[in-house]
Amino acid sequence: MSALAEHRRAVARTVTMVIVVAAVLVAVPYALPNDYWVDRVAGWIPLAVAALGLNLLTGYNGQISLGHGALYGTGAYATALILNHLGWPYLLAVVGSAVVCFVAGVLVGLPALRIKGLYLALVTLAVAVLFPQILEQFSSVTGGSAGLGITESALNHRGVVVEQSIRFDPPEGSGLSTAQWRYFFMVAVAVVCFVITRNIIHSRTGRAIVAIRDNETAAEVSGVDVARTKVLTFGVSASLAGVAGALFALFQATQPSRISSGSFTLLVSLYFLVAIVIGGPQSIIGPALGAIAIGVFRDVITPELPERVKTATPLILGALLIVSVLAAPGGIVGTVESVRARRRRSPATITPTPTTEEP
Amino acid sequence: MSQFVQYVAIGLGNGATYAMLGLGLVVIFRSTGLLNFAQGEMAMFATFFVWKLHDLGLALWLALLVGIAGGFLLGVVTHQLVVRPVGDPHRHPLAVVIVTVGLFLAFNATASLIWGSGQQPLENLFGRSSVNLAGTAVSWQKIGTLVVLGGVALVFWLIFQKTKIGLAMRAVASNPESSALSGVPVTRVLMIGWGLAAAVGALAGTLTVPVSGAVDSNLMQLALVYSFAAITLGGFDSLLGAVVGGLAIGLVTDVLPRYVSAFEQMPLAPAFLLILLVLLVRPEGLFGRKAVVRP
Repeated sequence: MSALAEHRRAVARTVTMVIVVAAVLVAVPYALPNDYWVDRVAGWIPLAVAALGLNLLTGYNGQISLGHGALYGTGAYATALILNHLGWPYLLAVVGSAVVCFVAGVLVGLPALRIKGLYLALVTLAVAVLFPQILEQFSSVTGGSAGLGITESALNHRGVVVEQSIRFDPPEGSGLSTAQWRYFFMVAVAVVCFVITRNIIHSRTGRAIVAIRDNETAAEVSGVDVARTKVLTFGVSASLAGVAGALFALFQATQPSRISSGSFTLLVSLYFLVAIVIGGPQSIIGPALGAIAIGVFRDVITPELPERVKTATPLILGALLIVSVLAAPGGIVGTVESVRARRRRSPATITPTPTTEEP
Repeated sequence: MSQFVQYVAIGLGNGATYAMLGLGLVVIFRSTGLLNFAQGEMAMFATFFVWKLHDLGLALWLALLVGIAGGFLLGVVTHQLVVRPVGDPHRHPLAVVIVTVGLFLAFNATASLIWGSGQQPLENLFGRSSVNLAGTAVSWQKIGTLVVLGGVALVFWLIFQKTKIGLAMRAVASNPESSALSGVPVTRVLMIGWGLAAAVGALAGTLTVPVSGAVDSNLMQLALVYSFAAITLGGFDSLLGAVVGGLAIGLVTDVLPRYVSAFEQMPLAPAFLLILLVLLVRPEGLFGRKAVVRP
């Protein structure tokens, strides 16, 4: 097969995949039986985006963070405070949270230049455990464990101004339910995040990010500005976690529910790690697959289990984590790829390749 | 003043449990260079074991002894089944973090699966009475915990300095390859290290219960971070450092928040700042050996 044909096939495959993914994402809210399930699936989106951010940092750049739950939480509270006090449009609040978390990420990334590997994991673990305590300490702003809702001023039917929970009202004539409209909003933001991350990875900066993971000294010698790249990666990763948190806050607030210190425990940070390990670190789509796997576990399988073993879900996830590392370090994506590569290679070994006969 | 003495006593008593957990972390770090993120959950698991035995009618001290033995076994099995296959933690730090985090989740869930997610009451090992020290009532529980810490530290010191297996453990810590070549059973040594770490966890857990009030699956999460702070301060490879660091962290997290309102709801904050400061300024800690890295 000539190189051109190979290239054409690769392009065709990518285009097909994009179309299939887009079709699935659009079809989901119509295919699901009711709004309850649309909301369950929408609830997986923040996890996917946060895992995407963690994967950029941990999977591609090799900096381990067990504290992304705190950045996720920062994004959520940033959105809540922006909407409560400034009343910006939702999309602008999401962008604002991304900026806030970018700054926070850079601030965390600076000491991480000196603290590496296991020690960085240790410090970020402490951040994850500290975060709910910070929320408690500043409960006058954050609402602490009682929680914080997002409200807006509105006129009630008697013409009096009241504070009411924000809502996701679908556009007139779209025929969408609130849950469906909320799902589309979240999916759109998530897709933008995935595309941006993909472009970063495939750029010059992306190659620098990976080079630093593989060998920091070699990267430095080859002219990569290691410090700058690492801090920036931390910032971008944090802002993705912030966007995820913002989506989570909007999702919660329009249920209507609240975000509280209990929503951002250490377990949240660990689940991000589970998502990238199961889905496939070092792949763009891996974190999304991992998030779907966790979501299916949490919302589809767990409710079916007998009451007695419901608490076993984390056990299964923990076991999956260990098994992935020991048996399938590439996660779902890596396993699929290696199976496909093996299948592609096997016919080639039977029929001799004609490369030597080409002019 | 007497109030201050009381806070100090509470701090030292709690610090002693962090120190014990820290000793377990140090033993594992020295022999394998690995930070065990599941140390707290292993301790919690072993504590549930103690509670169950006591619940079945065994005297608490006897239950504790059996629990320590059970903890040892738990550590050994964990090492053999899960940790050993991962390989060199310095070459694969991410894999090690992921596996110990996996253990964390698994132990946590298994405990709720077996023993339920509720809180189980466990009586104090040293009773509820207190003693008058210089005009301040100090509970026996705190004094007892400190004495136990002294005993544990002594036992660890004896094991490392006076026994053959301790010598082997030090050899493996300094150079696993050479010690393997000179006939040290490296795997068995690492296995025993994990066993010791989990065994001391059972002790730390049982002594933490009076502070938290009950045994539940989140018993040791905060204690784990405190004991990490302790060994960061003391030095990751120093037994003495774990003891001193543990007591210091106990003091910082129990005394400071009573007087500084900024830390009132977040006792972890001073410990966290300490971790950050030590790792940035003096990564080997107070008593640790400086790691020399050849790039």
